[in-house]
Amino acid sequence: MRFVSFRSASSVLATTALLLIATAPSQAQTRAETLRYVTGASVNALDPNIPGSTRESFALSMSTYDRLVAFGRKQLNGKWVFDLDKITGELAESYDVSPDGLKLTFRLRKDAKFQDGSPVTAEDVKWSLDRCVTAPILGKAQLLTGSLTSADQFKVIDPLTIEVTLPKPDKLALPNLATVYPLIINSKVAKEHATPEDPWATAWLKEHTAGSGAYVIESFKPGEQVIIKRNEAWNRGSPDKPAFFKRVIVQSVPEPATRANLVERGDADLVVDLQASDVQSLEAKGKLKVVSTPQYNSITFVSMNNQIPPFDNVNVRRAIAFALPYEDMFKAALFGRGAPLFGATWPDGKPLNGIYPFQAPVKTDLDKAREYLKAAGLPEGFSTTFSFNVGQASTAEPMAALVKESLAKIGIKVDIQKLPDAQMSTQINEKKLPLFTEGIVAWLPSTDYFYRNFYTGNQRWNYSSINNPELAAIAQEARFEPDKAKYEEDGRKLNAIHFSEMPQIPLWQPNQDAVMASSIEGYTYEFHRQVDYRDVSRK
Amino acid sequence: MTGLGATVARAGRRLLSSLPALFGVLVFTFLLMRVLPGDPAVFFASGPNAGKEEIEQIRKQMGLDKSVPEQLVFYLSDIGRGNLGRSMMTGQPVLKDLRERLPASLELTFTALLIALIAAVPLGVIAALKPGSLVDHGVRLFCALGVCVPTFVSGLLLIYVFYYLLGLAPDPTGRIDVFTSLPPQRTGFLSIDFLLAGDIEGWWAACKQLILPAVSMALFVIAPLARITRASMLVSLGSDFVRTARSVGLSWQKVVVTYALRNAILPVITIAGIVFSTMLGANVLVEKVFSWPGVASYALDALLSSDYAPVQGFVLLMAGIFVLVNLVVDICYGIADPRVSIG
Repeated sequence: MRFVSFRSASSVLATTALLLIATAPSQAQTRAETLRYVTGASVNALDPNIPGSTRESFALSMSTYDRLVAFGRKQLNGKWVFDLDKITGELAESYDVSPDGLKLTFRLRKDAKFQDGSPVTAEDVKWSLDRCVTAPILGKAQLLTGSLTSADQFKVIDPLTIEVTLPKPDKLALPNLATVYPLIINSKVAKEHATPEDPWATAWLKEHTAGSGAYVIESFKPGEQVIIKRNEAWNRGSPDKPAFFKRVIVQSVPEPATRANLVERGDADLVVDLQASDVQSLEAKGKLKVVSTPQYNSITFVSMNNQIPPFDNVNVRRAIAFALPYEDMFKAALFGRGAPLFGATWPDGKPLNGIYPFQAPVKTDLDKAREYLKAAGLPEGFSTTFSFNVGQASTAEPMAALVKESLAKIGIKVDIQKLPDAQMSTQINEKKLPLFTEGIVAWLPSTDYFYRNFYTGNQRWNYSSINNPELAAIAQEARFEPDKAKYEEDGRKLNAIHFSEMPQIPLWQPNQDAVMASSIEGYTYEFHRQVDYRDVSRK
Repeated sequence: MTGLGATVARAGRRLLSSLPALFGVLVFTFLLMRVLPGDPAVFFASGPNAGKEEIEQIRKQMGLDKSVPEQLVFYLSDIGRGNLGRSMMTGQPVLKDLRERLPASLELTFTALLIALIAAVPLGVIAALKPGSLVDHGVRLFCALGVCVPTFVSGLLLIYVFYYLLGLAPDPTGRIDVFTSLPPQRTGFLSIDFLLAGDIEGWWAACKQLILPAVSMALFVIAPLARITRASMLVSLGSDFVRTARSVGLSWQKVVVTYALRNAILPVITIAGIVFSTMLGANVLVEKVFSWPGVASYALDALLSSDYAPVQGFVLLMAGIFVLVNLVVDICYGIADPRVSIG
């Protein structure tokens, strides 16, 4: 008995050794063809349209689904970033915009196939776009910003042609179709899983995909990891061949220091959410490639509630704007990794251009701040709170301490409030916070879009609760302004109002620091601020 | 046999009597989550364009549009049918999430407790045998260090040394290397599943992932265990029966292990039970540092985003485990000391 078991054990060993020898080279090869991307967040839905889906889910859907069109890319200071002005076909082979700007016609690629092999037809496109504007999903609010609101606007001309009709010539209609939500779904498959209560198969599509994208889901563990494998038939990328990596592993690693270790040791290939301090030390070591792009569609600001005293007084807001310790905050919070929005000089006191976000002529000037406080009738200062959410603590905590210190010098006593994320969003929604810091992002960063969404109306994203009829009117008018010069003029007016009213104080645009193995190429800063796995390749 | 039957019957009674407490925990957590400031609907409707409509929709989806008493009735009837609700965060049923994550936490906690016991009991015994000696002080110093270094610090240190500097440990990302294929799931304990599947290589890979987090957790609990072993060993070594045993010339081993240690082990078992329950819930930092897909980090994430269902499910699970652990501790008492019976 003993002898037999010994033999079997040794044969197991021998087989293992043989297997090891046999698999070693091929495993090494798969590692080179695999992208391991680590992130502090996680994917929680396979359809980004599901309310509550995370940014990682958005990024994943870019690879598992195609859209009609996609953003091109351009170089900005030597780094690749998405290009809002260059819209190329993805499932569409070509598109036309009618001279009056009211009709968009898309001709689909003849060779485009869904992952199950069936061809992509105009019917599928119509069903998917109908779903986006009809079903109770996130796409609805997004497409609204491009005047896409009703299923009647999408018309099938022939199996490979679809026409989109607009009520007004809206500049943002076409870019909207390149955003995350209007993905094109295999309608035959989705309809099989639709129920009378759920005609748009949202429940099924949350856990399954039915698209034509560059990658197929191999395994999906919500909150832990997603593994996707290449769709060999996909050819919508720029060089007309499938995506580079055969496999992509998207793995959640909550601890930022661990993520930094992983990428430094070469076990992970790419990470975009490290702490600024770690990025700085990794960059100094020089072993890895660090691509830092100012997130030019996002802004971090200090906001004041313009309806709550004393911040309803414009002079108090101006006092704060001249009392913030900009340079110190920029260094302490971001290690200077970003583009500052303070410290500009406006020679004639007027905005330099009509682009938002703009660099404002504010700097730390305590004497000026005291003057403004006096003008507001509060020479002795006052007490208030400064809030930020736990999720941003690594940057906001040092910032808050500096704000407290600096405002104390002009007599404003600040209590720092660190709020759990859900509590912070609730308080913002209820307009209860007097003074706080937040960040905003716009997928389609145009001046009027920023002003309409973040500075008008009694709604959640109007952080400062500003109610300025002139600003609202100009922003609304600018939306449909076809003349570029006039649009620029409107932008200048808006920026001037922003500076004189000072509803909130833009601080900076933080860098997106993508840290990657030196063999990784092609990384592009995308509008959704995540990695598009189709962009990257290995040398 | 009758002894065993009686123990089972008593255990059953014990379980029944804990039901009211479990129910209390259920209702209390439910109310607590609703009292906490923070509206989950607002938090989860945070897409770039989510407005009032989206918030209302999520509220409806989570059942928050109804009054609190109504929600409680729905919740209780769901629990009765074994439905713990759905997590907004992962998008999965809470029961499924917990079922997948609990084995990960249990495996880690069991291993850590085992390491801690293996280290702590001998340390405590040695310290008790020579109180005041250099060895005793050495043990005290080690315990003090273990307690005063928080688990995430020791975890990060271990990662730094064994993974980053020496490269001995695998990357600290969860239970198994991403490139290793998983065994068919039977128990959910990877180290056991690999053995059942006969995959020694996989088993070793899983063990390697387990060692660092288990050690960093164990370091933290060695102190209470070793201290309590030392204290109760001192009492038992100084007692009459040990003196008698020594005086009749029994071997050293028999005196220390059979008589002194067996009598001293009761408080150690009690503490081990408590330590186990606390570790299971409180190992969130270790889980975060090692990206361990366990229940504690799951519950923390849920709490931060006010995701009601997972938090409630987690508390219920912990309460249930606490009841079970206490029961097991009581049964262990009976084995260690037949005079003790659970009532």
